[in-house]
Amino acid sequence: MRALESISCDIKDCEFVSMLGPSGCGKSTALRIMAGLLTFEGDSVRVGDKDVTGPVDEAGIVFQTSNLLPWRDVTGNLRLGMEVGNHAGGNAEEQLPQMLRTLGLSDFAKAYPHELSGGMKQRVAIGQALMRKPRVLLMDEPFGALDALTRDHLNVELLRIWQAERKTVVLVTHSIAESIFLSDRVLVMSERPGRIIEDVLIDLPRPRDPSTTRQDPKFGAYVVQLSKIMGIV
Amino acid sequence: MAKRKSSPRNWLNRDLIDATVFFIILGLVWEFSVQLFAVKAYLLPALSDIFREAWASRALLLSESLVTLKEVVLGFSIAVISGIAIAAAIYFIPVAKRTIYPLMIALQSIPKIGLAPIIIVWFGYGLGSKVIMAFLFAFFPIIISTLGGLAATPKQLEEHFAALGASGWVTFWKLRVPFALPSFMDGCKVAMPLAVIGAIVGEFVGSNDGLGNLILLATGSSNTALTFAALLAVTVMSLLLFFILERLGKLVWWRAL
Repeated sequence: MRALESISCDIKDCEFVSMLGPSGCGKSTALRIMAGLLTFEGDSVRVGDKDVTGPVDEAGIVFQTSNLLPWRDVTGNLRLGMEVGNHAGGNAEEQLPQMLRTLGLSDFAKAYPHELSGGMKQRVAIGQALMRKPRVLLMDEPFGALDALTRDHLNVELLRIWQAERKTVVLVTHSIAESIFLSDRVLVMSERPGRIIEDVLIDLPRPRDPSTTRQDPKFGAYVVQLSKIMGIV
Repeated sequence: MAKRKSSPRNWLNRDLIDATVFFIILGLVWEFSVQLFAVKAYLLPALSDIFREAWASRALLLSESLVTLKEVVLGFSIAVISGIAIAAAIYFIPVAKRTIYPLMIALQSIPKIGLAPIIIVWFGYGLGSKVIMAFLFAFFPIIISTLGGLAATPKQLEEHFAALGASGWVTFWKLRVPFALPSFMDGCKVAMPLAVIGAIVGEFVGSNDGLGNLILLATGSSNTALTFAALLAVTVMSLLLFFILERLGKLVWWRAL
């Protein structure tokens, strides 16, 4: 079973790109290929000037489930990514206080995952990926399992963190509004076997804010445009 | 965090009160029904007679208990060490899964009580044969629980560790082992009383000392109060060992999450 057709795209440094598509279109597969978790047929996947052949130090990945270790508190989970693999993050202890502040979790440094809400766990997962100072942050429907309110809130948080950290972000989502609100570019994918059917530049001013960005007439126009591409309207 | 710390304590308090009251009532029923129905002492002594006998023979009970305790602890420890080693071998080495694993199941299917006489022949009347018996009774649950624990790691966490670039060794120690610990501790809790049974069986079949030996001697001389006192000592020892494991099990508190 082929999950993906040939896919080709270039993502610029510090660009925020969403891959938008229906369930099962292979967007998660594409993300796993970028992370070096799956092998593929085709030319190459490159991060910076290196070919991806296995799990990449330059990539931080955030999954739909937060994947925190239940026996480690927030601090311990943030440290995990620097303990178990290669990374460019430097000293974990120096980064921790700032990272906890960035994530808004300073008061929860010693809390265990079962004491956190779903949104907080996902923030820890993002922090864990960021601690490694990756060039690229790969996110696989990171807010897919959260309720709508928490999701909106975390979208704003993610933009704030992104602006502070200046990372290249590739986000897999099936939410049109989320992809427009967050991204510089939206890659729309077809049904399985997935391929990129449209590359839409999102020309909305930054910093974005839920109260103004979504009022922008262009926001509504993008929703219509993307819905049409996806065949919803 | 407060929730996790306070709730077991409340639970323990209430549990302790309920259990104490229940056991006192049970003891009173025993004591008075033996007197009321004039049950002969060699059949079932009154509870007070058992305690009196236990106190009178305390030095004997203690020394015999220490003999049995040593057998149990040694046999259990060997069962834990070899159980972990065998489980790890089965887990890591495919050929071990095809060969050693069926062998373990076959060994487990032998009624171990039937092995006791030959174990005595092989290892003598002393400590060795009882340690082997305790080990034989205890090792299987430890292998099974360790294997089950090692297989309990969620798939998405394995992928997460792969994405972090963790080596197989690091993944084993930082992910699989902690996930396996709760199940392993359960296995130990099953295995400990079995080790006690194994040691007692070994003493029944051939020994010069130990609580099993004392039970045989006391019953043979119709000193039923001493038989019960020795049984009481076995029970107390089993409970103490179980309690220690229970406390150790609290260290892997993430089991229930």
